[in-house]
Amino acid sequence: MAAATASPSERTHFALFGLEPTVDVDVKAIESRFRELSLAWHPDRAPAGDSRARLEAVSRTAQLNDAFVVLKDPVRRALYLLKLAGIDLESEAGAARAPMPLDFLEEVMERREALDQAMAAKDHARVQALADDVRAQRALALTRGQDALRSQDVTTASHALGRVRYYARFLEQVDAFEEEQLT
Amino acid sequence: MAYTQKVVEHYENPRNVGSMDKDDPNVGTGLVGAPACGDVMRLQLKISDEGVIQDAKFKTFGCGSAIASSSLVTEWVKGKTVEQAGEITNKEIAQELSLPPVKIHCSVLAEDAIKAAIKDFQEKRQKKQAAP
Repeated sequence: MAAATASPSERTHFALFGLEPTVDVDVKAIESRFRELSLAWHPDRAPAGDSRARLEAVSRTAQLNDAFVVLKDPVRRALYLLKLAGIDLESEAGAARAPMPLDFLEEVMERREALDQAMAAKDHARVQALADDVRAQRALALTRGQDALRSQDVTTASHALGRVRYYARFLEQVDAFEEEQLT
Repeated sequence: MAYTQKVVEHYENPRNVGSMDKDDPNVGTGLVGAPACGDVMRLQLKISDEGVIQDAKFKTFGCGSAIASSSLVTEWVKGKTVEQAGEITNKEIAQELSLPPVKIHCSVLAEDAIKAAIKDFQEKRQKKQAAP
């Protein structure tokens, strides 16, 4: 009976939700499917005393949660699609296979230096202005990455999504700064 | 995560933070990044015409281990020849700082930065020699 379906770990996050891998998912539909599956697969529904069934339910639910977190978020979903295409930017080895152009690294360096100065001066308006610009750049890069994934252009997608990661890191620094100012 | 004493020491008192004129023919600039974490590291070496590293500066936007790795290599490369500096490996850096496995990529970044800076210097030199 177990042989009838692939083991959960071999199934993609998309397959778990009965979807083909795609950039364009209906997040509302995913959310309701998630609720249905969470109930249906809940470990408490495993037959009493069947510890193996219970264990399986626990592992399936854990995978469902992981899949949900990835699929509902456009950035994580795009990175996951890129990973399925063979480049895992979230691992060092995968990232090393997709080096960023030098002029982009220079741009990041300049932006981070400007942010550092603004934070040191506690210049909120400047920090926010820099962050707004980076948010716009991140949105642009994500759109470019999604377009590239739709046309299966893995190289362009990895460059665009690599940019998204650097911009996301920048915005994490902004968030940390703002939080520190509040306390 | 707990950082080791040496990492904390470099993090709190980073050596040789700063920048040099990247257009100086005796300055090699290495700029590297880690998409996995989104951090960037710039290492600059001032190299004499005889190929000896006279000074080193760095600027790193990253975690404590990345800052410590770059700070450490600026100390190590000074006085070395370009060839000797090019032989520094990430293993030596990670060992000196006792970096945990999840932070090994920070030492890889520092090694890559040295190699990139040397390459930049050598390319500049070749251009200079090629020019009439």
